[in-house]
Amino acid sequence: MADEKPDIGRLVDEAAKAIGLPIAEQYRANVIVNYERSMAIARPLLEVELDDELTSGPVFRP
Amino acid sequence: MTDPLSRDATATDIAHAVMSGKVKAAAVIDATLKRIEAAEPTINAFTDVIAFRARKRAAEIDRGLHRGPLLGVPFAVKNLFDIQGLPTRAGSRINADGPKAARDGALVRKLEAAGAILVGGLNMGEYAYDFTGENAHYGPSRNPHDTTRMTGGSSGGSGAAVAAGEVSLALGSDTNGSIRVPSSLCGLFGLKPTYGRLSRAGSFPFVDAFDHLGPLARSVADLAASFDAMQGWDPDDPVCTDRPADPTSMVLGEGISGLRIGVAGDYFARGGMPEAFEAVATVARALDAKNIVAIPQAAIARAAAYVITAIEGSQLHLPRLRARPQDFDPDTRERFMAGALLPGSWYVKAQRFRRHYRAEVQKLFREVDVILAPATPCTAPKLGQVMMTLDGVELPVRANLGLYTQPISFIGLPVVVAPLHKPGGLPIGVQIIANHYNEAAALRVARHLEKEGVASAPAA
Repeated sequence: MADEKPDIGRLVDEAAKAIGLPIAEQYRANVIVNYERSMAIARPLLEVELDDELTSGPVFRP
Repeated sequence: MTDPLSRDATATDIAHAVMSGKVKAAAVIDATLKRIEAAEPTINAFTDVIAFRARKRAAEIDRGLHRGPLLGVPFAVKNLFDIQGLPTRAGSRINADGPKAARDGALVRKLEAAGAILVGGLNMGEYAYDFTGENAHYGPSRNPHDTTRMTGGSSGGSGAAVAAGEVSLALGSDTNGSIRVPSSLCGLFGLKPTYGRLSRAGSFPFVDAFDHLGPLARSVADLAASFDAMQGWDPDDPVCTDRPADPTSMVLGEGISGLRIGVAGDYFARGGMPEAFEAVATVARALDAKNIVAIPQAAIARAAAYVITAIEGSQLHLPRLRARPQDFDPDTRERFMAGALLPGSWYVKAQRFRRHYRAEVQKLFREVDVILAPATPCTAPKLGQVMMTLDGVELPVRANLGLYTQPISFIGLPVVVAPLHKPGGLPIGVQIIANHYNEAAALRVARHLEKEGVASAPAA
């Protein structure tokens, strides 16, 4: 199941409905392209494991 | 000294000339407005020129009503800075229909309090979600070194106006690289200060977690003088530091003695065109920097910066995406829409990773004071170019011009871009990265390179 490719078109349609964002037909294909591109760029982050103790502060201070 | 009325004059040249009475501020403004008028049909850096206000301010200076280290210096700001009486466009058509700013942004007020004169608002990529300098509503800003090429973005007008010699000083914003990319492609010195060092009050936001403001100029002394004038706590920006100001102009002359300089390897030594790495090698040779340091997990940092940007930026614009999708630039609209749909768990993980990465990178600063890295993977691409080949892989230009800047702004480190110009070639910049609140170290290295003739930023 883990390797099953998600249906991004359906995901975009349903998530947009859930948050009340109408996506006109002429924009839809490019939204899907951008969602897939985001998935590819985010992959290194999604694959890294973080310790449970690692939290983020509510206000970032360098 | 350079003629203060010429396009080659730096901000400090102009300020010295006005302070000493060699030239009137009114004459400086007249010369500036003439240059803007002549350059704009080609360069397209400005969206608003406020000639009446600038002339009024210059007349006040000539009557002795204002003082300061930047006396009589014309400057312009990316049009996401509030300018009293104008809508804050932020590169968009939607905001142009919005309310007019009731007062100037905090940094505009600080520069004018130092004697500088605002002359206008500058073109930018829509809502700062851009690395190219292109804009469907206002047209692209054009690179003065080759007007068929991109300025880089999103502070494209800031890069173009300074590189064309229209003004000597401009302000931009940098969320993922938007000061550093145009500084590199337009051949300018640029400063992205530490996150929270300069107030962002009175500027239109993009990604609160990463938004920085800073200057672009043709000399390191101008970066330092403007940075010094803009420092200081501001209760109107909750992120702005309450640390005391740390003036840098007076330490520029200290050179590089005592500074330990490393060169970023690994992620920052691959994935770009040869000219990006040649520039770093040239700077490293000039500084006798041989210590290669690996910034750990930089690829993950870039991924995390991308996720936070997409989700925060899209959340900000969700009401406008619902109400006026047709009025967005086509190059931002579908990216914002996709970003609005990304999982919240990605955002939280990216923020958790950010804390870990900050701690790991700060360990490097026990061994070095500054780190050198490419600013962009290539020189300026052609206007309209969509794809480019890096390391044999075809990649979108728009997402990848910030390949080397994103992992640095992700944790708010201060960076100065030092530009290198090859005869007959296009300029390209090198990032000089310092530890938090140590802008002075990066500026000292940049000044040394400028003094030695390695880095320079001549008007095109």
